[in-house]
Amino acid sequence: MHPPLGEPILEFHDVTVAYGRRPVLWNVDLTIDEPGLFGIIGPNGAGKSTLLKAALGLIPLAGGTITFFGRPFAEVRGRIGYVPQRETVDWDFPVSVSDVVLMGTYGRLGWFRRPGRRERDLAGESLARVGLADVAGRQIGKLSGGQQQRVFLARALAQQADVYVLDEPMAGVDARSQELIFGVLSELRDAGRLVVVVHHDLRTAAQWFDRVALIDMRLVAVGLTATVLTPENLERTYAGRLDLLDELGRAVEERGRTS
Amino acid sequence: MTAPIGIEPLLAISHNTLVVACGVAAVGFAAGVIGCFGVLRKRALVGDAAAHATLVGVALAFLATGRRDLPVLLVGGFISGLVALGVLVLLKRCSRTRDDAATAIVLSVSFGLGITLVSGITARGIPGGAGLEQFLLGHTAALTTADAVLLAAVSAAAVLLLVVLLKEATLVAFDSSFAAATGWPVALIDYCLVMLVAVMVVAGLPAAGAVLVTALVVIPPVAARQWTDRVPTMLLLSGVFGVVSALCGVAVSAVVPRLATGPLVVLAAAFIFAVSFVVAPDRGWWARHRQRLAHQKQ
Repeated sequence: MHPPLGEPILEFHDVTVAYGRRPVLWNVDLTIDEPGLFGIIGPNGAGKSTLLKAALGLIPLAGGTITFFGRPFAEVRGRIGYVPQRETVDWDFPVSVSDVVLMGTYGRLGWFRRPGRRERDLAGESLARVGLADVAGRQIGKLSGGQQQRVFLARALAQQADVYVLDEPMAGVDARSQELIFGVLSELRDAGRLVVVVHHDLRTAAQWFDRVALIDMRLVAVGLTATVLTPENLERTYAGRLDLLDELGRAVEERGRTS
Repeated sequence: MTAPIGIEPLLAISHNTLVVACGVAAVGFAAGVIGCFGVLRKRALVGDAAAHATLVGVALAFLATGRRDLPVLLVGGFISGLVALGVLVLLKRCSRTRDDAATAIVLSVSFGLGITLVSGITARGIPGGAGLEQFLLGHTAALTTADAVLLAAVSAAAVLLLVVLLKEATLVAFDSSFAAATGWPVALIDYCLVMLVAVMVVAGLPAAGAVLVTALVVIPPVAARQWTDRVPTMLLLSGVFGVVSALCGVAVSAVVPRLATGPLVVLAAAFIFAVSFVVAPDRGWWARHRQRLAHQKQ
């Protein structure tokens, strides 16, 4: 589970990403060398999701390198679980909840082999962990937004990974599902996994994450949540945003209450 | 068991008609099955661009060989269909043309070229050239037994390949970024699916013609989706709808000479779709209407 000594779990080295000719991330240097809940925080359009997608090889890098356990993603992808944003798929697609969770086992199965008893058991366990065992046979469009997000989390659990990467898992999710998802992520942390979460809500970020990185097209600050979420850092990250004062006030207030 | 009434007029016509009916039924089945992934991947119109472009290849293959040999003509149609898809990809990548506009341009230009070639051949009175117009709207009565066997074999191969790739195709069609992140070559799998659609569009040419063959890979899947929430059931049902549509077209055009098959096939498919749209449980109009009423009563 633990990386070999000296190799960080996840390392971004001088990463620059561009859409066409327009750079969206500049020279990001970020090293995560211990397990835990890690939040990537920043305003809309700051490049948080872009950073994740670049790490998973879904977007080409304009410069720099990204490594997991000291190796390129392609060599270790079996050890990384992925939860994409919920809106990226068509929920009217004719598959059941358990069909989707089974997709988490496909990477290990490889070409042409069909899921068997082992995979079905694993999918069932994963669904139970996110509290959806009783809707396994239902078409995915018949679930609530929060339940759909939990299906995606269960699919990532079925990947049996060492690192989990989640893109906005709390967006448009009801309070009960948020709690359930956070509970599962905490379990993963306690089992020694690294969980990297792109997140936009400052209030909950202060409560949930062990460490955070503040991002606004470049890395603003990184470290323990309590030391990073300072008014100065937040101002530097959210400078010029209209909702700044409100968000800032709540975040600082929450931090004061939890620490 | 007694034979269904509809088969008897066919039997009365000839053995060849029966073989042709089987071949066309196989095409209908395969087109319905393969078409599901075009629809699920939201690329329903890609097949249409390829279909309209097949006419160019059919005409050029005829000009090159001077014979109206179905396999040769279909290979020509397949090649020009692929060329059109290639142009479509280039147009989207190298210009700022939107998806739908690019499809419309490729479709109309290649079809215009195809029509020009075919009518040029007909006007010049090149021997055998008159029959090329049958590829416009479909004309199964002209098929030979050997043609039908070939079409059935191609259809069987296409379905077999899709069944082998079913797990991968479903994954890519549902969530391509998850597929890519977990190591699947999404572009390659997509490419296979597009090729399969192109193959079925070409195999469907004799039955439905270049103008209407898209209907065979789009209408049955959409109708099938109404009845089920599972991909395998959808594939099977769509295949069955394709068979029924194709056979209706063959049967009617066999009884009424000189009637093109394509429009009949499409009308049959449209009828199945209309019924599915209204009466399907859960997703159908009637079921949803009743749900709304029940909801209001509460």
